[in-house]
Amino acid sequence: MSGTVYLRRYWQLYALLVLPLVYFIIFKYGPMWGVQIAFKDFNFFQGITGSEWIGLDAFREVFQTQDFYKTLRNTLMLNLLDLLVSFPAPLILAIMLHELRIRWFKRLSQTILYIPHFISWVIIGGIVYQVFGTQSGMINNVLMALGFESVPFLTDKDTWLITYLATGVWQSAGWGTILYLAALTGINKELYEAAEVDGAGRFKRIRHITLPGLKTTVVTLLIINLGNMIAIGFDRPFVIGNKAVMDYSDVLSTYVYRTGLESGQYTLATVVGLFQAVVGLIFLLGANYASKKLTDESII
Amino acid sequence: MAASKKTWGKLAKLSLVMLMAGTVVLSGCSSKSGGSTDTSGGSSGSNDGKQVTLKVEIFDRGNTPEPYTITDSYLTRYIQDNFGTPNNIKMEFVPVPRSEEIKKLNVLMASGGDVPDIVFTYDTPTFNRYAEQGGLTELTDLINEHGPNLKAFLDEDAMSYGQYMGKQFAVPGKRAFLGKYSSFIRTDWLDKLGMDVPQTTEELYEVLKAFKEKDPGETGGKVIPFGMTIEPAQYDPLIWSFIQPTTEEQKYTLIQKLGANDYPTLLPGFKDALQFMNKLYNEGLMSRDFSLDEDKKQLTQDVTNGLVGFLTEDYPNLYYADGTYDTLLKNQPDAKLEPVDPFTNSEGKHAKPEYAPNGMYIMIPKTSKHAVEAIKYLNWMAAPENLLALQNGVEGENYEMVDGIPVIKPDAPQDVIDRLYNSGDIAIIANGNFVGDDAQNREKLTTNFPERFQDLHRKAVEIAATDTFKPVNFDRPIESEAKYGTNLQAKYEEMIVKTAMAKPEDFEKTFETTMKDYMVSGGQAILDERTKVYQEMQSK
Repeated sequence: MSGTVYLRRYWQLYALLVLPLVYFIIFKYGPMWGVQIAFKDFNFFQGITGSEWIGLDAFREVFQTQDFYKTLRNTLMLNLLDLLVSFPAPLILAIMLHELRIRWFKRLSQTILYIPHFISWVIIGGIVYQVFGTQSGMINNVLMALGFESVPFLTDKDTWLITYLATGVWQSAGWGTILYLAALTGINKELYEAAEVDGAGRFKRIRHITLPGLKTTVVTLLIINLGNMIAIGFDRPFVIGNKAVMDYSDVLSTYVYRTGLESGQYTLATVVGLFQAVVGLIFLLGANYASKKLTDESII
Repeated sequence: MAASKKTWGKLAKLSLVMLMAGTVVLSGCSSKSGGSTDTSGGSSGSNDGKQVTLKVEIFDRGNTPEPYTITDSYLTRYIQDNFGTPNNIKMEFVPVPRSEEIKKLNVLMASGGDVPDIVFTYDTPTFNRYAEQGGLTELTDLINEHGPNLKAFLDEDAMSYGQYMGKQFAVPGKRAFLGKYSSFIRTDWLDKLGMDVPQTTEELYEVLKAFKEKDPGETGGKVIPFGMTIEPAQYDPLIWSFIQPTTEEQKYTLIQKLGANDYPTLLPGFKDALQFMNKLYNEGLMSRDFSLDEDKKQLTQDVTNGLVGFLTEDYPNLYYADGTYDTLLKNQPDAKLEPVDPFTNSEGKHAKPEYAPNGMYIMIPKTSKHAVEAIKYLNWMAAPENLLALQNGVEGENYEMVDGIPVIKPDAPQDVIDRLYNSGDIAIIANGNFVGDDAQNREKLTTNFPERFQDLHRKAVEIAATDTFKPVNFDRPIESEAKYGTNLQAKYEEMIVKTAMAKPEDFEKTFETTMKDYMVSGGQAILDERTKVYQEMQSK
């Protein structure tokens, strides 16, 4: 089929693509113009074009700041731990849901597991304080009533880390199952039946049919997650974190917020943003390459 | 098909990652190469017969009562009728949400042509940045020519706060009352224990211990002897009372001004203050989770539930109608929470900081073509009779004159009260009421409160004004403070939290590490710059 005939036949499909394309051009490529702020002494009233070029001065300044390295380390640490804890959770949940036989119970569990995803971090932060507070938190009230010492879930940096990771799993695990459940519906039912006839038990079926069926999805999500290693959402560490655990809770996004938006140093904030983007890209491509070599699965 | 879908997903993700940088700069994107061609400072002069529009920023707190809107209320109409129409000026108010004031102002300023003729902010670094980057109209000549009332109202001292490098780039609002903090204690608990009201820090410590051990409030072990948060109103009074007597030079060089406040980080005595907090915390005399309480919400809840024995606070905060004390009385009708002044320094004085005499920075952007009208408007506002009308409404309806003080009528109908719902945001040149001399201004503060709390409030006002010292004012901005200020505020609070919560034997170590972190994060740069500027000031 020649190009024009093809286009004529499927033009509606291409028309559908226009809107997303416009979105990316306006909201994703347009702002790239502003990246040059990283190389300029940005003056508010002169605008981007009017500001003076300063070369790599701003980069030098950022790379000499102690806080930059601290927040970089924390970002990587929190993301890595999150990956270890939060990545397997939806997978396990999805397999467990998949094995459920009673339909209404499966539906109900799924819905209950999704709900936290729709609660904003600001609200979760409020709940976390009420539940984990040292003095008036629910859990500590119970502990103290039973005669135990109270546990500083939020104000000691190591226990805080556990609280941070646990709320992450709670918030995102249910939602994460959706992709896996979708992939699971694509597995041929006959495989299971055949395995059952051959005498394979439940765990054998999971190992030899369910898991291989999910491999592509797992790898895709892993690569995307690795690409995000250096980027970290602002609200979760900002809301759950506090002054007592700044050693761990201060990350690149909160650092950018403080220097960029609160202190009006747009140049420095842009430098950090650009740095994150470049490193993120390297991570993404690296993970993709490694995956291609090792498992023959990749997204590019 | 599946493959191309994946490619798109990947592309989406990719561009998302790449554009993390972009989002930061989105706000600055719309800026044109600003600066105006009108360098004469908006000398469109007397509006020869043609009506001009004067645009004025106004804070929107989302509390406009029916039937008004934020841009069309009793006061906006009053201004139009009494200032606008007689001068052939059409007033237009540009609402800015209070909570994102600075962000919105930044966008307005960067947009060039669309910016209001009068803008304002409380934030010193923001004002300094606008002035430094050349975005503001120089006002000296304009005020001399068109602002005689304004000059009389503000006097030289207040006016100097609106200068940047010796040039007048802002009209500073003026504060009526400079007091800041008072302390409060549950006197009913003291009575129960047969203890006197504490007059010194040592006595206070004994009282706190007794609160903890004897639990006079019968809280069942939940008592919080000293209610603490990570807000200045709670930690500032304690810390400043430990600061040793300081020389003029020490004040200039060792204080660090972060944001709007002076911080005593390097002054002698600061470490003793932290040590004392460490002791209170480890003996269980202070709120355990104070590091989580960044908006006093938990503290307020604990006070109203009758768990807190002692606290420091912005002096008027407890006594508003339906406020903290009212709620406490609903829960515990016998509770008594009264102003005290226990913190004493090494000289036995109740030293505490006060506000600088300026309120907000009122600015006229360089792009404004109506700078003259803007100053005329502020000048009109500065006339005593106009200020009185804007702040207090109509005599006989909103207020009665008692001994030269306009006393608000508490039984006025709601629609009459609603006239003044945002008078504080309209009368921008004044922060508080100026009704006469200092004593009258103070009494006016008290008359705004419910009658049942007026005696307590009067006492809190008095305490807030006792043994106060002024913030230090340089004749030029300290650049490193603008640069590192916000970050250092976070570091400062981190230092308080960490040293307070450390085990007593770890205090030294914790203090040293957090102080070192503070110094390398900009504290040293500020110290160096302040020392240098001070020496230059001396050698002049």
